[in-house]
Amino acid sequence: MRESWRRIRAVAENTFLEAVRQKVFAVLLVFALVLLGGANYFAEFSFQEQFKFLKDLGYATISLTGLLVGLLGAAQLIPAEIERRTILTALCRPLRRWEFVVGKYLGLVALLAVMLAIMGAVFWAVLRWKEAQLIGLEGGEAGVVQAIQAESRDPRLWQAFALMGAKLFVVCGLAVFFSTLATSTTFVVAMTLLVYLIGHLQSVAREQWLESGEKAAWFIQLFLAAVALLVPDFNLYSLIDEIVAGNVVPWRATLEVLAYSVAYVAVLLAAAACLFEERDL
Amino acid sequence: MSAAVWTQSLRKEFTLGWGRGRVLAVEGLDLEIKRGEVFGLLGPNGSGKSTAMKMILGLLRPTAGRAEVCGNLAGTLAARKQIGFLPENPYFPAFLSGLELVRYYGKLCGLGGKALEGRVAELLSLVRLGGEAGRRPLRTYSKGMLQRAGLAGALVSDPEIVMLDEPTAGVDPAGSREIRDLIRELKERGKTVIFSSHLLEQVEDVADRVVILHRGQKLREGRLEDLLTMSGEWQVRARGLGEAQRRELHAWLVQHGAEVLGEGSPRERLEDYFLRNLPERERR
Amino acid sequence: MSRVVALALAGGLILGWGIGKLPWEIRMTKEQRLATVGFPGPTAVAVREKLGQGLVLAALGGFRGLAANALMLQAHGAWEEKQWVRVRSALELATLLQPRVALFWDLASWHLAWNAAVAAERYEGLESETRRRIEARKWVEAGRELLERGTRAVPEKALLFQRLGDLYWQRLSDYQAAAVCYRAALTKGDVPPYLERFVGYALDKAGDKKAALAYFQELRRTMGENPDPARQPEVVEREMQRLTKELRTSPNGKRP
Repeated sequence: MRESWRRIRAVAENTFLEAVRQKVFAVLLVFALVLLGGANYFAEFSFQEQFKFLKDLGYATISLTGLLVGLLGAAQLIPAEIERRTILTALCRPLRRWEFVVGKYLGLVALLAVMLAIMGAVFWAVLRWKEAQLIGLEGGEAGVVQAIQAESRDPRLWQAFALMGAKLFVVCGLAVFFSTLATSTTFVVAMTLLVYLIGHLQSVAREQWLESGEKAAWFIQLFLAAVALLVPDFNLYSLIDEIVAGNVVPWRATLEVLAYSVAYVAVLLAAAACLFEERDL
Repeated sequence: MSAAVWTQSLRKEFTLGWGRGRVLAVEGLDLEIKRGEVFGLLGPNGSGKSTAMKMILGLLRPTAGRAEVCGNLAGTLAARKQIGFLPENPYFPAFLSGLELVRYYGKLCGLGGKALEGRVAELLSLVRLGGEAGRRPLRTYSKGMLQRAGLAGALVSDPEIVMLDEPTAGVDPAGSREIRDLIRELKERGKTVIFSSHLLEQVEDVADRVVILHRGQKLREGRLEDLLTMSGEWQVRARGLGEAQRRELHAWLVQHGAEVLGEGSPRERLEDYFLRNLPERERR
Repeated sequence: MSRVVALALAGGLILGWGIGKLPWEIRMTKEQRLATVGFPGPTAVAVREKLGQGLVLAALGGFRGLAANALMLQAHGAWEEKQWVRVRSALELATLLQPRVALFWDLASWHLAWNAAVAAERYEGLESETRRRIEARKWVEAGRELLERGTRAVPEKALLFQRLGDLYWQRLSDYQAAAVCYRAALTKGDVPPYLERFVGYALDKAGDKKAALAYFQELRRTMGENPDPARQPEVVEREMQRLTKELRTSPNGKRP
């Protein structure tokens, strides 16, 4: 058990290290930080709107960067190791294949977590900066200050942050799953992106499938069923939009989506491990 | 005691996909490699050497047949614990340093802590990558250095068997000699060494036994001496014979009913010539 | 484990989970709607614009907030250039992308019912005063229609009901309708304290002094013995006195 964990950690650390030593991730991070800082320059609107813009732009930046990290990281995972054949020197060791899969996933998730933490901290700072700016501009009247601070220090923003992280971790799980099937990095990136996009439509497909009855042709039914069964429902994470829009989202709903994400990742990794177990290298 | 490696009727077919049929890479391979032996898998490119090795390592699943390592089914954790592997060409994560590479492989073998650090330092100095060289990234290494780093990585868990895939391919004569010396050293330490090569002449002086593969099948197997000794012929090398004595010798041979197949001054192998002409300190 | 077994196992896992997750997803979607919108079914917006929204969502891959903001910026630019048709289409699209953002509906209706309408009233290209009025009225109606949709899309918030009340009052002079909207706003959680008096003012303005007085009396009663000063009980009392006095001089409740 302890040896197993040690091996998983070695794979994860190595994956993380590889990513950190690649310039592309640093460049992405810098790009994201510049965008986050620049998000502060919409000054023509009411402060509620300014905060909405800031938050939307902030979340979009973090989310997009996270998605790119996930996709690029996925390409680095198993297919690139097979292409470079470095995987041979790892898997001929007394290392179980599922340990390798889990280690790769954890390495990618660790990378993502570090980047999210950095971007989150900068985003927090930008919000505070905006707050100071607006209070200076609108005057220090207690009611106004309170209203501005309600926007900038909204604790629900961390709720949105957790949801965003969970969504990206599921994307990473998808990437790992596809990389155990594929031999090319392009395939993994394309499939992951495709499922990510379709995932936002899954709830529509699901409702259409379950509610349409006999109306649609059988092949349409089959397609809708496949989407509903095989693709995660990324619409569940649109709670993020609710939070940015300033609507109340209960913690219970948030936690349930987090649990859904964990379960999804577990299933994806288990299936990935099965597929990888019998694969010729 | 069980053999180091034992295979029976080992067979591997690759499916090409999209209905393009199958390729037979190895067929009906029986091997028994004893412990402490230096064993060569020889044959031209595409003869199935690497496929056979990968099946023994558990990287490929045999289509049929069975392979065992020290009595354990190939591919199981117990089997892989017995083997250290140096792949053909330096397939290593280039972003690591030599030190990190060996440490990473140690961790993958379940090692850790002070024991691992000590072992890493010891191995790096064994392959002459101690100190500053070990801290440089692998992408700055020459091919020979990569081979040595890889070898240290293969040896980190102190395995019973060391497998080397084409260890001398693309390495200069000095590096090649070095690797042959290392194989001998490993044998002295009681390790079983299995290597593959398509450069037959480079291995003849280290292998105890070889198998020659051709199109996935075993062509010949045996001790190199037995395979290469042409028992129907006899060869004499001598110094100090003048032209007249040479003619006399030739006439004597013909007179005694021998068929003279060749005579003349022997030529040195280029590799030996090269090594002999290196400055003393660089020969090792 | 053979390859066939591994494939079957992986496929079985994915499919089994796919079937197992469906009821969970359905329940979560329902509960999310219940928690955020207040009722379990799809929102009015979702039914009407489900497909369009779904496709746009898929294309934007979760970055629709960004697109909606870009549209709002576009609307802002068009407003500065007084390009009212462009303002309207950008606003319509933004609210389609993010129907749950009350701020968008608010801003959109303000642009249409106030800015565009006022510009139409003053538009010198139309000579006839009546034509200008009709044109302006169209913009006000557009703003009203937008706000009505907004109240269905964000039914749990007071803001849009309040704005709709303001629109009825200030742009259409329909004070009864304004009173209805303010009343609807008061059933939501987040109302500013002054809003509760607006129902009374609107009823008064509509000419229904009896109803207005009854409303203020009821309002004062709910404040209790020790009223919260933020609710300004003295203003309510003053209104009660005034209305009582006016009703005495004109008992049928009509304006003199």
